[in-house]
Amino acid sequence: IPPLTYKVIAECSVSKARAGLMTLRHSEVRTPVFMPVGTQGTLKGVLPDQLIELDCQILLGNTYHLGLRPGIETLQHAGGLHNFMGWPRAILTDSGGFQMVSLLELAEINEHGVNFRSPFDNSECMLTPEHSMQIQNAIGADIMMQLDDVVKTTTTGPRVEEAMERTIRWVDRCIKAHARNDDQSLFPIVQGGLEIPLRERCVTALMEREVRGFAVGGLSGGESKHDFWRMVDVSTNHLPRDKPRYLMGVGFAADLVVCVALGIDMFDCVFPTRTARFGCALVNKGQLNLKHQKYKHDMQPIDAACGCSTCKRYTRSYLHHIATNESVSCSLLSVHNVAYQLGLMSSMRDAVQRDEFPQFVREFMAEHFDQEPIPTWIREALAAVCIELPADATIETKVEISAPTSPPKDLKLSS
Amino acid sequence: MHCHPVLFQMNKVNMKFVIKNIAKSSGRLGQLRIKEDVELSTPLLMQTTKGGSIPYLSAEVFEMLLKQQQQQQFLLQLTLCSMDQMAESLGQWSRSLCDYVGYPGQSTLLLLRDPCEATPTGGNDRDVVPMFTRRGKEALTAKRYMEMVAQFRPDVYQGMCDADTHPESTKKRVQKSVDRTEKFMEECYAEQAGKQESFSQCTMLAPLVGGYSTYARTQSIQHARKQPSESYGGYIFEGFHTNGLAATNLKSEQLLPIVEHCMQQLETDKPRFMPGAFTPPLTLELIRLGADVFDTSYAYLAAANYKALTFNYDKDAVPAVQAVFLDVTDDELKEQFTPLLSNCSCLACRQHTRAYLHHLYKTHELLGPILLMMHNLHHYLGFFEVIRTQLAQDELPQLLALLTSQGSYSIQPNTKVIAKAAMGKGFSSNAA
Ligand SMILES: [Zn+2]
Ligand SMILES: [Zn+2]
Repeated sequence: IPPLTYKVIAECSVSKARAGLMTLRHSEVRTPVFMPVGTQGTLKGVLPDQLIELDCQILLGNTYHLGLRPGIETLQHAGGLHNFMGWPRAILTDSGGFQMVSLLELAEINEHGVNFRSPFDNSECMLTPEHSMQIQNAIGADIMMQLDDVVKTTTTGPRVEEAMERTIRWVDRCIKAHARNDDQSLFPIVQGGLEIPLRERCVTALMEREVRGFAVGGLSGGESKHDFWRMVDVSTNHLPRDKPRYLMGVGFAADLVVCVALGIDMFDCVFPTRTARFGCALVNKGQLNLKHQKYKHDMQPIDAACGCSTCKRYTRSYLHHIATNESVSCSLLSVHNVAYQLGLMSSMRDAVQRDEFPQFVREFMAEHFDQEPIPTWIREALAAVCIELPADATIETKVEISAPTSPPKDLKLSS
Repeated sequence: MHCHPVLFQMNKVNMKFVIKNIAKSSGRLGQLRIKEDVELSTPLLMQTTKGGSIPYLSAEVFEMLLKQQQQQQFLLQLTLCSMDQMAESLGQWSRSLCDYVGYPGQSTLLLLRDPCEATPTGGNDRDVVPMFTRRGKEALTAKRYMEMVAQFRPDVYQGMCDADTHPESTKKRVQKSVDRTEKFMEECYAEQAGKQESFSQCTMLAPLVGGYSTYARTQSIQHARKQPSESYGGYIFEGFHTNGLAATNLKSEQLLPIVEHCMQQLETDKPRFMPGAFTPPLTLELIRLGADVFDTSYAYLAAANYKALTFNYDKDAVPAVQAVFLDVTDDELKEQFTPLLSNCSCLACRQHTRAYLHHLYKTHELLGPILLMMHNLHHYLGFFEVIRTQLAQDELPQLLALLTSQGSYSIQPNTKVIAKAAMGKGFSSNAA
């Protein structure tokens, strides 16, 4: 049996949205799926059993962090990350390159790989495609990522094309170096900046390789939302129907809904757990900043319709008092926020299977943006897949930026 | 100055205590009925909390832990100093305090100070007790204290006292703590008598202070006992330590004689509460002398200092003598793919390894203290289970001998733990 099989179960008759079943060595994964990020072999303050209770089927681990601590050797001796962290279900790892370029000041890319200075002993190190495969083979995740040439999404000119071409050269080195192709599936990454022809060329080249799924990278890093959705759209237009598609680093609710409509199957984002640390809870209308005074005496749960263990027991008032003061608040809000993300994905899967996805999207957008105008890029993106939203009285003209720095709006003080 | 006894007859004490058995050489077994449907066996372990939550553990996780235990009911030990800012919200809360903190159906006890944290000394001005909250020192009058108790509506609460004494306190300081406590308690009773409605479901514990002076302790006991017996439900011992790690370093030869002196003067039908992180052997000694109720602050302090409790309390275990702690900061654990404690049935030991706990420490991940707390609470709850069994067979001395052969139980601050201080306050140093 191959380590990854993917089957489309239902397709939206209007948009490109689809519901699928991905079968991995450690778990079945129903798509579209959101993958919570457990950077260092743990999801902030949440036990594996709690994640299972939330029906989480796949987690993401970061190769750069895991390679530093506990390190390859320990992971090998432990028999891989699943054993090491006590997580029986599926795992996906990134290549480590992106984390280096974004976290380390001196990271520099040349044809060999990513050159960087060790944050511990300041020695010069090099992460090559081969080295990334070696670490990811030791981690043993069900799905692993090729090392790609990462440029800032706002970069223009020949460097973008160079990065795209190099990414293709590197995928061949990764495929060659991948030592556990019978257990782990390697995904190549579609690059090409914000240029449609480059994206198309990249997809075409990657499809000539024998791989079991594809990632779309180089987005959600500060580009305009106008460019963002077009790059997703062009990528899914050309990717094969029978393989899963993973959009890296995307996880805000509205973006998830749009990108599922555009045909993406897998997502990840640190935001739901990161924002939990600062006392923020996700709801359909945006996020509640529970530290705000207005929640001091609010005796409702975060979301009365949410079935998570936090909403079953705790009021906004109590969470207001302990948020950012007691570390247990981080666990409580992480559980809710992960439940929120997983719940949103499961609603979308259901809607696709009932072939009511366009209706779901309209209802979601109406609730999410409430009295505010729906951003133009969302209207355009959805219109491109034939989902029309009701007309707004006002037209949004502001340019929205796609970046982890622009989280969903906090609820208005009046609401 | 003294309250009229007639008022107290209306102030019924809800808590009931029945002694089942007084062992010849080893303390007493009892049943403590806190309120309807909540009956607990003594010697009892209260669950210590911070901000109303068991440290590091959500209610969901704590109940996963309890699945392994016999006892499904417990007494939450809440502390005013970590929950003071909730008073106003609780005043508007129509349900009970245990519901508010996520534990419906359980029982609650409210303390003024947090046994898990060292209480700063000083600040004992005329009519106030200093309360050290997250936001600094607050001066608490007896009137204000009772107002807050009325807002919290715990099942049990302690009377207000000056507990600012420790083994080295001066005679003068000790005497002051007794005198001031007498005065505070008169005010507390007066407040209670004036607001029958607010306190009808709450049982008060009479505080006993007096440091390490037999004279002062006797005085404090007399002050407590001059009230009609039905006006308070039990005794709470204060002023032996100032909370935090200090309690784990008390000398038994100093503590035990004074406790014994006090116990002889107390009627037997009232439970005796003993908050603080006493070591396991000292806890056994205190039980032998007749103490009934303790808390889990010792298990917390071990976890907060990255120590897993591994002392052996099973008389049939091989080897009988084990290390008291396992320090998860120890680099030797890096590749030990074995549980914190072999044969431990807690979730942390069933699903995780020493190597993983060590990794979580190295990366300052929040799951580290969560798993340690789960293990330590599981271990400590099991310890109390054994205490009750051994007590019933009058075998506490054997248990004590087993414990003391295993080494030192005092907890030193773990200076290797750099991120620990930041963990409680926004834990931003952990930002990924
Ligand atoms: Zn929830
Ligand atoms: Zn254990």
